[in-house]
Amino acid sequence: MKKTLISGAFVRSKLFWAIVAELLILLVGFILRPDFLSIQLRTLSDGTTVLFGTPVDIFNRASEITIIAMGMTLVIALGGTDISVGALVAVSGAIALKFLRWDVLVYTTPGDYTVQPYYLVILLPLLTCTLMGLFNGVLIGKLKLQPIIATLILMVGGRGIAQIVTNGKQFTTQYTPFKFIGNGSFLGLPLPILITLVVVLTVVLFVRRTSFGMFVESVGINPNASRVSGLRSDTIIIIVYVLTGLLSGISGLIYSSRISSNDSNNAGLGYEMDAILAVVIGGTSMTGGKFSLLGTVVGSLIIRTITTLVLYFGVVSEAIMAFKALIIAVVIVLQSEPVRNAIAKRRSKRIALGGEARA
Amino acid sequence: MPENKTMTIASGRRMRNLLTNPKYLMVYATIGIFLLIYLFGALLYGGRGFTSVRTFMLFFSDNAYIGISAVGMTLVLITGGIDLSVAAVASLTGMIIAYGTTVLGIHPLVCIGAALLVGVGLGALMGACIQYLNVPPFITTLTGMFFARGVCSLISRESISIKHPLIDALAGFKIYLTWPNAQGEWVKIKPVASIDLNTIAFILMIVIGTIILQKTRFGRNVYAIGGNEQSATLMGLPVSRTKVLVYAFNGLCSVLAGISYVLYVKSGWNLSLQGAELDVISACVIGGVMLSGGVGYMFGTLFGVLLKATIPAIITFNGSMNSWWAKIFTSVLLLLFIIIQRAVIASSQWVKKKE
Repeated sequence: MKKTLISGAFVRSKLFWAIVAELLILLVGFILRPDFLSIQLRTLSDGTTVLFGTPVDIFNRASEITIIAMGMTLVIALGGTDISVGALVAVSGAIALKFLRWDVLVYTTPGDYTVQPYYLVILLPLLTCTLMGLFNGVLIGKLKLQPIIATLILMVGGRGIAQIVTNGKQFTTQYTPFKFIGNGSFLGLPLPILITLVVVLTVVLFVRRTSFGMFVESVGINPNASRVSGLRSDTIIIIVYVLTGLLSGISGLIYSSRISSNDSNNAGLGYEMDAILAVVIGGTSMTGGKFSLLGTVVGSLIIRTITTLVLYFGVVSEAIMAFKALIIAVVIVLQSEPVRNAIAKRRSKRIALGGEARA
Repeated sequence: MPENKTMTIASGRRMRNLLTNPKYLMVYATIGIFLLIYLFGALLYGGRGFTSVRTFMLFFSDNAYIGISAVGMTLVLITGGIDLSVAAVASLTGMIIAYGTTVLGIHPLVCIGAALLVGVGLGALMGACIQYLNVPPFITTLTGMFFARGVCSLISRESISIKHPLIDALAGFKIYLTWPNAQGEWVKIKPVASIDLNTIAFILMIVIGTIILQKTRFGRNVYAIGGNEQSATLMGLPVSRTKVLVYAFNGLCSVLAGISYVLYVKSGWNLSLQGAELDVISACVIGGVMLSGGVGYMFGTLFGVLLKATIPAIITFNGSMNSWWAKIFTSVLLLLFIIIQRAVIASSQWVKKKE
């Protein structure tokens, strides 16, 4: 039989359709506005050269969701959901700004930079978010609570905590090392892209180079069977939720650094939804089991590309949701089991017919 | 009369069964904690009017939109699904009524009809997507939520106030509570308390929901699907039809909640009711509905809504606490309730094992 260019298994995979969808959306953008895909090197006033252009912007702005979605992929592979990530983003930003603007509360003279050691400003938010992830993990792993409900607690309470930390105030900062996280660039690439690359690589190596990924899939497919065969499923669950908490913290630092401020009400609003969508578009099933980290990155890029494309044509920002919904609906319908099976069946029938004709 | 005696014994046993049945324990826990918190508020702020009939009636009328939506959500949760689109659909309803009435000058009833079509249609479409395309409810209704919010923003980004005699009349409708004074005349109680249309709609929807769940074949199918969908299919129950209908009914409840909210604020705004879907879901959870499906009662949901209403009320009466404490207390309550749920399930399993 003739070997086809793309193997049937790949065509049947959800990742393939996600990549097709992303390319189609980019193509639509390119047809409507030829400069949609242009990238150029520009030199800033301080002498650094940075890549500019819509594709770079898409990667840059997708960072927050991509980072969270890495953890969310593992959570969903376990058969769970974590809807507290958006609130954790707000908590992370609130604590960072609280320590950056310690002077507002302690000293009467306002200053622009921190009186706290800088590493505390970075470490404390991450530590807090990790602990919150631990809280989720213990509720779900040890107490066997339903993931949606267990994480609903921090989703509701998290924003309250963020407001208590800053006493309901919104601080702004001009402290350069902190602003560098979200706005700086290194080797010509915006720093958030580099942070995302590091996070994605670390998670992929951790999951695929150790047996951890296999454990996660095993627990996601059948927790009881995994436990009986000697896996400590509760520990695995806790590790995954702790990791998601930490990643939400990193995402929160990037977000608050981008806006040089904390915003307990709006920071990370709807991130949990975007992250879950990114994972599902990327081809990981909500029922748990097999997962695809690469697919999640593509899913996150799809969401950001839609947003950028719609914004590019001057549609009001709130209305993006309608376009997002339409495109996601198409992707989800294409990926749904009945439709995929039908396409795969037609394809295999065609290949089978071709084979017969030759024989 | 021996027959009569056996009947008393039987009814006594039924009563005892009703009280000790683990099925109802969660509802009792909700009612118990509601009474405790109410008592707590009464002890602290009783002198400032916390215990007045007026405050109690406000629990209903201020939370009617949450309650009406929670009726549909209870059904959805019992089938083992979830619907995140309720708040967005309610917001869209408000926007359709506001834009239609104020900007286009269409009669509100026509707008309400259009909103009903959109809401029920979207609900049925989502139900069909969940049932026939096997897309998880979370993702389907999330897309529905994005769609409804987006359309809402496409219609208008500004808050549109509604001025129409019909809406004003509906919103202004009040039955004042009266009691006989010393002379035997009926006078308004003080401070003035009234039952408005939202309260009536809320109670009515709870009653309708109870009847649907407990007294109809449809309700039993809903429980059966939540208990075990595969068994329900094998038993020959109309699983597909029931599930699509449940989502359509929830769409109807969202639209009614939207109308109730319009009567409450008399305007439409694309960002109104943001995050209210979580209020609705948490009210159901506090009311003893389990997200794994198969367990839940309308009566519990009613008290879940009331319990969620008392917390902001106590914080308002306190005066010195910030509104974000309400979020923290609500999350503590949620934690408490799911741990009670867990304990109830564990203990009932333990009892079963012992038997």
